[in-house]
Order: sequence, then structure tokens, then C-alpha cells
Amino acid sequence: MKLLPHWVSRPALAALVAALAIGAVLPKVLGWSVYSQNQVTETLLFVAAALAWNWMGGYLGQVSFGHSAMFGLGGFISARLLLALHLPFWIAWIVGGLVAAGYALVWGHPTLRLRGPYFSIATIGVGEATRLVMTYWEDLTGGSSGLSLPITPGLKSELYWWALALMGAVIAGSYALRKSTLGLGLLAIKSDVDAAADVGISPTLMQDIVLLLSGFTVGVCGAFYASYQNFIEPGDMFGFDRSISFVLMAVIGGVGTIIGPAFGAVVFVMLRQYLIGSYPQLYLGIYGVLLIVVILFEPLGMMGLFFRIARRFGLLRPEVEATLEAKAAVGGAAADPGAREGGAP
Amino acid sequence: MTVILRAEGVSKRFGGLKAVDSVDLELNDGEILGVIGPNGAGKTTLFSMIAGSIPPTSGRVLLEGKVISGGSPRRAVRAGVVRTHQIVRPFQNLTVLENVMVGAIYGKARPLGARERALEVLDFCSLRDRAPQLPGGLTLAGRKRLELARALATEPRVLLLDEVIAGVNPVEALQMTDLIRSVREKRRLSIILIEHVMPAVMRLSDRVIVLDAGKKIAEGKPQQVVKDPRVIAAYLGESAAAAAPAPVSGTLPTPVSGSGPASHPTPPSNPTPTSTSPSKKGPGERP
Repeated sequence: MKLLPHWVSRPALAALVAALAIGAVLPKVLGWSVYSQNQVTETLLFVAAALAWNWMGGYLGQVSFGHSAMFGLGGFISARLLLALHLPFWIAWIVGGLVAAGYALVWGHPTLRLRGPYFSIATIGVGEATRLVMTYWEDLTGGSSGLSLPITPGLKSELYWWALALMGAVIAGSYALRKSTLGLGLLAIKSDVDAAADVGISPTLMQDIVLLLSGFTVGVCGAFYASYQNFIEPGDMFGFDRSISFVLMAVIGGVGTIIGPAFGAVVFVMLRQYLIGSYPQLYLGIYGVLLIVVILFEPLGMMGLFFRIARRFGLLRPEVEATLEAKAAVGGAAADPGAREGGAP
Repeated sequence: MTVILRAEGVSKRFGGLKAVDSVDLELNDGEILGVIGPNGAGKTTLFSMIAGSIPPTSGRVLLEGKVISGGSPRRAVRAGVVRTHQIVRPFQNLTVLENVMVGAIYGKARPLGARERALEVLDFCSLRDRAPQLPGGLTLAGRKRLELARALATEPRVLLLDEVIAGVNPVEALQMTDLIRSVREKRRLSIILIEHVMPAVMRLSDRVIVLDAGKKIAEGKPQQVVKDPRVIAAYLGESAAAAAPAPVSGTLPTPVSGSGPASHPTPPSNPTPTSTSPSKKGPGERP
């Protein structure tokens, strides 16, 4: 029986299904308070967003500091649709995601010709320009006073299961992107875009596909967030901290992996709750320090620590471990300067 | 013999520099064509134009009558022309097998059976036992074979090999020479070969063309070409060409063969100050 593509590992699939099933009954079993359940909902939402960011930042190696543009656009488009047309919220989310994906393509198609830091700098410009335009575009965003959504009783608690489903879909999507033949092409582009083109890959096409998927998913997350918060304003949705938060979640957890950004998002949301409560003036500074520490000492974040432990205790075969680490590495190049020398006499 | 690949008046200008100047080239089916010339002669730039990675300023390249130049590398690869790189460029984050699979999948957009096809190519290039490793663990010769394997996996008709022998030790050089020959015999490919290692060029090539300062200055059987005074002048300068007797061994002096006439002991890649064109490093050549 061959129902699944060859790259789907049955244990991984079973684990995902089991985790989602447990997640689905957890609130009832544990009898969570409304507050705790909302916290978990928000965490699941950001797991999805961090993974979608990671498709660009981790798989393709193009670090975007402008993903708030799609997050905010998805949020405001769906909010407007909910206010004006009273659509079912999930249709509004999908439309918000589609608009965000279209916007991602508009700015991303030209800027993805840039690589590495140049692309990242361009995305900062895109993010900030979008924030400014949206702040003054009062017909869409309500300006700095923002938009309030109609509160539907019951929806907020129901959102937990929607977040779980969204996260499940994004994890499955991450797995498919990473393991499929498309994923192999993305890793090749991350390692050497010209060499990839020379064996028949079209980097432009592949990057556009990832951009659309990532933009759509982050747009849906923004729309979800709007429904969850009931109130959104451009400074928060399109803010630079918002973009940075996606980068941080992936980097803390470990870019280029699936488990990494997911754990990173959990840590990030918990940390933010604590820091905003205790040190509201300092929390952005603490993020900055955290980012520097992680990049300096463990560029693969929590996954890097995991690899270290696995190496130490022989949990993974060394070549498996080295292969996994190389695939996750930013820029795709394992530290092997010797590999690029030679040739010219 | 039928011509499989034809370049018609191909030129490339980088600002004020004519890196390649109206070069005509014909590759017959099943032939190995050597391309030689001093550093900066425009060999790699010519390759890049044939492989579609840079568009020619003028002229065109045809594979069996179909234009392949001026588009993308993908167009050339899909048509059946693929290149390797002078400085090896494996995907460092993929295993040896996955590197070759990328070629097998994207070369002709055929994801099915890519793994089996990649393994077959690895077998052919004696890299099968390295399949699960990262390319960083290979020797330079191994990485050059991987570069060749990745290109072969795209199932080309024409293979462009950019210095796959230079830089490896003499034993590995012989192995690579045998491998290239079996690519032609067993896989029925036509090959264009850029190479500085003269003994290998002499042994492998059916025909040789010589580039100097972007222009084709000679063409013919390897043994004839190296005796051509214009070729000797291009490598060693006019005075050397006038002073030197015809090379006795039938090869140009190289660091590997070490059989050059004593009157001009400098390696061809490193022109002496007496040369008429001492610095010929063009943008097409990587350092």
C-alpha cells in the first residue's frame, strides 16, 4: 500500500497526529482557566507564525525583518471583512492570508534577487514603509486608534482548537517543505544559488513559491490574532518588534529545523508575558541581548544545544547528527573553508 | 560526423574589456573538444555563455539547431547542456547523494526515481560509498568527481568541464582522465574541456581550440596546435616563440609534465615579464 509519498516518515506522522489529539482534549482534561487557555492559544498561534517565517529564513536562508507587513495586512483585511460583510471568520482569515501572500509577492519578487544581509536590509525598509502607509491609511486600519472587532461570545474559547488545527497544518507543511524534492531544491539554493541554477533549478520560481506560502500563512496568523484580540492597531500589527519577534522565535529555537522554531515560540511567548509584567521598559533590550548571546554561542539555538547533547551522549549517529546540523545552518555552509579552495593552478 | 553544439560569433564585453571576441565553435557528436589558453583568455566566460549563466553580448549558441544562449542556465540544462565549476561548488548542506539527487530531480524536472538515478551516477563516479557523507569530508579530487556526478545526473547531451583535473595529484589526475573517457564511451556524451594540465588535454581531446585575449587563435589536432607559433607566443611571449625550437615532446611546458624545453621553463599559466601580454586576468576567471 503506498498512500504516502516516500519522504513521509510514519513515526513522525503518527507523533503529529497523537500530539494534536492530546492537544484537542487537554483543556477539558486539565480544566484550564480561561486565562491559561488563552495563553496556550496565543502560543500555538505564534508557533505557526514562527514556522512560516522559518520557511524563508531557515529553509531558503533569506532572513526577513519585514514579516509584520503580511501579519498586519492579513489582520486588517480580515477585520474589515468581518466588520463590513459579516463573513464566517475562517473565510475572512483565508482572504486576509491571500491578500498578504499577494503583497509578499509584490515586494518579495524583486527583493529576493538580493541575498543575505542585503535582502534583510531591504525587508526592514519594506516593513517600516508598510507600517507608515498603514498608519495613515485610516479607511483600512482606522489609523492609530485602530479597529475593534465585534465580540462573539464563545468564539474566544473555541479559538483554541482553531489554533491547534492551524499549527498542525503548518507543522505538516513545514515537514513537507523540508523533506520533499522542493525542500531539497530550497536547501541547494540556500547553499549556493548559482550552482543550484546551473543544475536546472529556477531560484526565482522557487523563492516566489516559498514567499507566497510564507506570506499566506503569516497573513492567516495575523487574521487569527485580530479575531483573538478583538482590537488591533497598526503600531502593534505592523511594528518592527512584531517582525523581530518572528526572527527571535526562530533563532532562539533553531532556524532551519521544525522543532526549533516551535519551541522558540513557546519560550518567546512565556518570556514576553513575564518580562512585560515585570520589566516593561527593558523587555526589548533583553530580547536584543538574548539574540546576540544565541547567535554568538549557539547559532542553532535550542536545537544546537540538543545536537550538542546528542553528540555528547551518542544519541544520534555522528553522520546523521552532522547532516542535520548542516541542513539547518544559516547560509547552508558547514564550517569547511577547505571545500571552496583548489581548482585554479 | 554531425555537429551537436555550435557557437556562432559569440562575444562578451565587460565594460571596456572584450572577454570573448567573436568565437566560433563546433562540437561534433561524441567528440571531446579541448579549450586551452592562458589565464584570462576568456575560456570560463565562454563556458558561462554556452551554459546560459551569462548572456552573450552578441552571437548565439545552438544545440542541435535550437538556441540555448541568452536565457537561463535552466534552459540550457533542460536542453541538455550542463557545466561543472572550476572552483568546486558542492551544496555543503546536503549529503553527497542529495547533491547528485538535486541534479537528477531538477535537471529534467523528473522527481520520480531520482534516488535510483543518482545512485547509479554515484556508482559510475566511484562515489557510492560516500553517499551518506557531507561533501566537506571529501578530498579535492572527490569533490571534483562529485561536481561531475551532479552534472551527469541532469542527463545532459553535452558536458562542459571546467578544469576538473587541475589541482589534484597525478594518480587522481589519471583516474579523472579515465573517468572522462568513460563518460564519453559509456554515456555517449560530447564534452568540451577547459584544462591547464597539458598531458591530460593531449590525451583526451580529439580536437583543441586555443583562446588568447578572447579570440580564437588556433584550432586543430592537439599535436599540431601546440606547435603553432601563435600558440607558443600566446603562452610565452613573441620573443620566446621566435627563440624556441619546436617543442620536442609535442607538449607545452607544464608544472605537471615538467617536460618543457629548457629555453622557456615558466609554466604557461604564469607568463614571464618578457611576454607581450603579461597580465591577462579577466573577469571571467576566478582567482
